[in-house]
Amino acid sequence: MDTPKDQTKSQKPKARWAPALFLCLLCTTAFTLGAILQQRVYSWTGSGGGDLMQVLLGNGRRVLADQFFTTADIYFHSGAYPSIFDRQYPSTNSARLARGVQETPEQEDAEHDREIALLNRPIDWIERFGRNFQITKETHLSGGKEREILPWLKLSADLDPKRVDTYTVASYWLRVHLGKPKEAEEFLREGLLANPDSYEILLELGRLYFENYHDLARARNLWEAAYRRWNKREAGKPRPDLRALDQITVRLAWLEEEEGHYAQAIKWLKVALAKKASPNPEGLEARLKELQAKLKEAEAPSPAPKA
Amino acid sequence: MSVEAPSILSTQSPARPSSNAAVIRIENLVVEYPGRGIGQRATTAVKDLNLEVYQGEVFGFLGPNGAGKTSTMQVLLGFQPPTRGAASIFGVDVRQPIARQRIGYLPEMTYYYKFLTSEELLRFYGRIFRIPRPELEVRIDSALKLVELEEARKRLIRTYSKGMQQRIGLAQALINNPDLLILDEPTSGLDPLGRMKVREIIQRLRSEGKTVLFSSHELGEVETVCDRIAIIHRGELQVLGRVADLVEEHQMDLERIFLKIIGYGMNHQREQRA
Amino acid sequence: MNRIRASISTIWAVSGIVIKELYRRKDFYVLFVVTAVITLMMASVNFFHEGKIVRYLKDICLLLIWISALVIAIATTARQLPAERESRTIFPLLAKPVTRGQVVVGKFLGCWLACGIALVVFYVFFGVICLAKQDHIGFWQYFQAIWLQWGMLAIVIGMVLLGSVVFSAPSANATICFVAVVSILILGSHLHKIAITEPEPLSVLLSSLYFLIPHLEWFYAVRDRLVFDQNLIPWVDCLLATLYAAAYVAIFLCGTWMLFRRRVLTT
Repeated sequence: MDTPKDQTKSQKPKARWAPALFLCLLCTTAFTLGAILQQRVYSWTGSGGGDLMQVLLGNGRRVLADQFFTTADIYFHSGAYPSIFDRQYPSTNSARLARGVQETPEQEDAEHDREIALLNRPIDWIERFGRNFQITKETHLSGGKEREILPWLKLSADLDPKRVDTYTVASYWLRVHLGKPKEAEEFLREGLLANPDSYEILLELGRLYFENYHDLARARNLWEAAYRRWNKREAGKPRPDLRALDQITVRLAWLEEEEGHYAQAIKWLKVALAKKASPNPEGLEARLKELQAKLKEAEAPSPAPKA
Repeated sequence: MSVEAPSILSTQSPARPSSNAAVIRIENLVVEYPGRGIGQRATTAVKDLNLEVYQGEVFGFLGPNGAGKTSTMQVLLGFQPPTRGAASIFGVDVRQPIARQRIGYLPEMTYYYKFLTSEELLRFYGRIFRIPRPELEVRIDSALKLVELEEARKRLIRTYSKGMQQRIGLAQALINNPDLLILDEPTSGLDPLGRMKVREIIQRLRSEGKTVLFSSHELGEVETVCDRIAIIHRGELQVLGRVADLVEEHQMDLERIFLKIIGYGMNHQREQRA
Repeated sequence: MNRIRASISTIWAVSGIVIKELYRRKDFYVLFVVTAVITLMMASVNFFHEGKIVRYLKDICLLLIWISALVIAIATTARQLPAERESRTIFPLLAKPVTRGQVVVGKFLGCWLACGIALVVFYVFFGVICLAKQDHIGFWQYFQAIWLQWGMLAIVIGMVLLGSVVFSAPSANATICFVAVVSILILGSHLHKIAITEPEPLSVLLSSLYFLIPHLEWFYAVRDRLVFDQNLIPWVDCLLATLYAAAYVAIFLCGTWMLFRRRVLTT
């Protein structure tokens, strides 16, 4: 018969391994359940994980992306930017940075004046004194310093690749002011991958080929593709994006005119007029007449050489 | 000045070391704490306490928990103003910070700044007393030698054991070469060797003519070290006198005297009868 | 005169402990390393092959510096008086010829100087980063930025010190003060505009708050000036802002002392 001491000795190895084995068993159970449940969780949420940003921030990344886009705008205005409390007329999402790209200087100035109107009237001594520390003098970046906005646009695009404005705005500054059409094209193509149905990116890509590479054939293909996308996405909407349609059609008309394809150019202007895309239909009508005259002139048989 | 102990147990007038002046003088001291709730009465922690501690003596201040020892010490150290009455140290009102210029105080179980080394800690306390730098360095050396922390002087206090913490506490209490040392449970948390060391330090301070006010629950230790003791119970002074006189008068050791004074024996008998 | 000298010596000794605490603890090093790593990581990112982009880097680095400085100031200050009580070191300290007022001022000074040292280290790093990316840095702009940030930290430290005698737990105090500071930075200058749109009595309450709170956002605006290479702030305004900070510090320290001197310290 074993003495108690012997019994302890014989039980010792078992006792030593038991907790470790139990731990292994628990781990195996947990990992197995994890593997089974993961598939089920994907089926509940309808997604298969996504990238790190998506996992970490969820939908919050869109808010951050918006904020970074606004930061780019703040940088463009050298830090002089009214807060939401100072703004009498709230800006739209695409902000003033994009307007700087698309509008006339007069329109832009008028908008600025309205926005910074409250900044000019301090209500009390606290606000008046505080102005000494704030940046109140607005200057726009120029002379290559426009590059300072780029990191925020890139970060904004990384956070929300579905935000089309980011690509078009960044491309504008890259190709027009910083002389980097190659980088602009890369960025636009990146945007196109994330937004294959975006007529805005195709429009901007067409402008790049037209203005920077003078590749009219590619520009035409891209703008025509943009027009098709526009039709697919916007045509059925009660309030379609007519401004984009105006830009696509007018640019196509312009390109065709440059190439001497007046009939085609007329066709695009007629599309613009039919869809009431232009904010200045009278101007468009006048242009149409000019083109029709040019077409007539081109089609008219050349006068017979004098005998 | 004689102190009239209100207790019937103190039959003999307290002996007073001849030729010595009072270092601590407490007159009709009353300490009250306001009631915490609405309409709750104030609690009296110390009632009309009169006490004098003379130069060069080791004075034991005893009492059970909640007797009023801590409140008295807090008044002496200026942590709390007296509700009524007065207390002075070296003739200066305890409410004046300068009264603490010649005091060394060792609180019960303090965790000193753990991010400092012991010599940095002593330098900090020394600077408060505006001790000139060369003299301060000498005092730091001797204080650390006295508490046997010389080897650990460059080590952060966070690495010290409980006993070492208590010893560095004693060293900081001695850094200004005080004439009065107030020790609150100086041997708590120490091993027998540490206790013996503290006793030795106290004896040595007495031989140097320093005054020591010493609170402890270790009655055997008090019996060995103290010249005179005061036992306080429920805020009132019960006994004041020389240890040897009390032992002779009551024909029992200090521990029994203490228990008798706080009424433990009677309560215990009553409980047993019940 | 001798009393004043003794008082200054005591305050200086108490503040020295706080400074030692800063460089012996890990908080500062962790925050500095985090700031440096994030800044260097951002500096290494290639944005459209543009090597001269610097403002975003300055912006991020300064933001991290501001956050780090606030964390250091609030965390260090919030634990000072509660830690003295908890570890019972307040007793041997007050048993020496030290008044509670000197303890309060010493703790404030220590925290403020410690933050100043931390700021200098952070700004040296910031300067190096800027010099690596641009040709020059405006010395006086940097000086104004550090000075005004340090001034703002003085107000924050005063506020947290007052909080440490009002709230029992250092963590609660730190959280409340952090939320208060961030709220002031974001909303401080707009409270009166919000007040106009609100009904009574909320309107009066917000307006009163607007005039009562320390306007930390003035000091924070210096950060933007540094990022966007703006001109110097007039020195008179800098001086007035410094006096403004000093006034608020005095108010907070006075409040702290009034509460702390009545506090019963039980051994």
